[in-house]
Amino acid sequence: MSEAPQADPGIALMPGLEALPRRSGELVFHADWERRAFALAVTLSERGLFSWDEFRERLVARIAAADTTADIPGAPGYYEHWLAALEQTLERKRLL
Amino acid sequence: MDDHAHDAPPNPYLTARRSPEETRALAERVAKLEKLLTDKGLVDKATLDHVVEVYEHDIGPMNGARVVARAWVDDEYRGRLLANATAAIAELGFSGLQGEHMIALENTRDVHNVVVCTLCSCYPWPVLGLPPTWYKSPAYRSRIVIDPRGVLAELGLDLPDDIEVRVWDSSAEIRYLVIPERPTGSGHLSESELAALVTRDSMIGVARAAAPGPGR
Repeated sequence: MSEAPQADPGIALMPGLEALPRRSGELVFHADWERRAFALAVTLSERGLFSWDEFRERLVARIAAADTTADIPGAPGYYEHWLAALEQTLERKRLL
Repeated sequence: MDDHAHDAPPNPYLTARRSPEETRALAERVAKLEKLLTDKGLVDKATLDHVVEVYEHDIGPMNGARVVARAWVDDEYRGRLLANATAAIAELGFSGLQGEHMIALENTRDVHNVVVCTLCSCYPWPVLGLPPTWYKSPAYRSRIVIDPRGVLAELGLDLPDDIEVRVWDSSAEIRYLVIPERPTGSGHLSESELAALVTRDSMIGVARAAAPGPGR
């Protein structure tokens, strides 16, 4: 059974720095691990292991701390911030 | 025009930044995490696949339908929309455009507008939601310009011979919203009921707005 019959606008339409990278509306994933990391955070939050806001605050903090004004080669990509925020959240919940 | 925001900051994360080796290391890190969480019974592969599927195909905001419905019921709003669509759309609280300038095109008894992006697949997602698959197809992008009537007929829209068809080519800076004609027999409907008649295809210009159901 699916737990996500529909996308949660609170995730899909996050505004600001943490907005999901999109090109003409389509989600941009550069590699399959980014899809997996995306799905892990969404699924775990849906299952109540942490609140979306808790994860989101960590994601925003990491993106804000990085320089997002320029597309710097070698700088962490969006889903690296995402993955780090997810790991941090899971550690805090003693799930890692 | 100052509001033609070419300098809006683009999303900085649209290009890949990692080498194949770095990508492999990240993939391993995520695979380990997934395995750990799977072993704990917290996630399973089918659910993760499904989540990706849902979010990649989520149409997103269809805010344009509410813009069109407002234009149908409020002549002053329609005037503002035709004069400056970017501002009129923002007026309803819809934002998220990344520097694109919106232009509203009104379909009438004499003129039918249809939108394409011949170059790539430019599309005003915050207003129209995710583009339909055919919108990005090379066939649509090339043929709608050469033979708009033929392509529209194939898509199920037969236009009378005396109507003028205008094809508009989107770009990175300029994106279009078609205001379809208000369906006949919709006079009794509320604004939100009207919005439900405004399909995505009708705002691209390849269909009419839906006819009101048999009610009343």
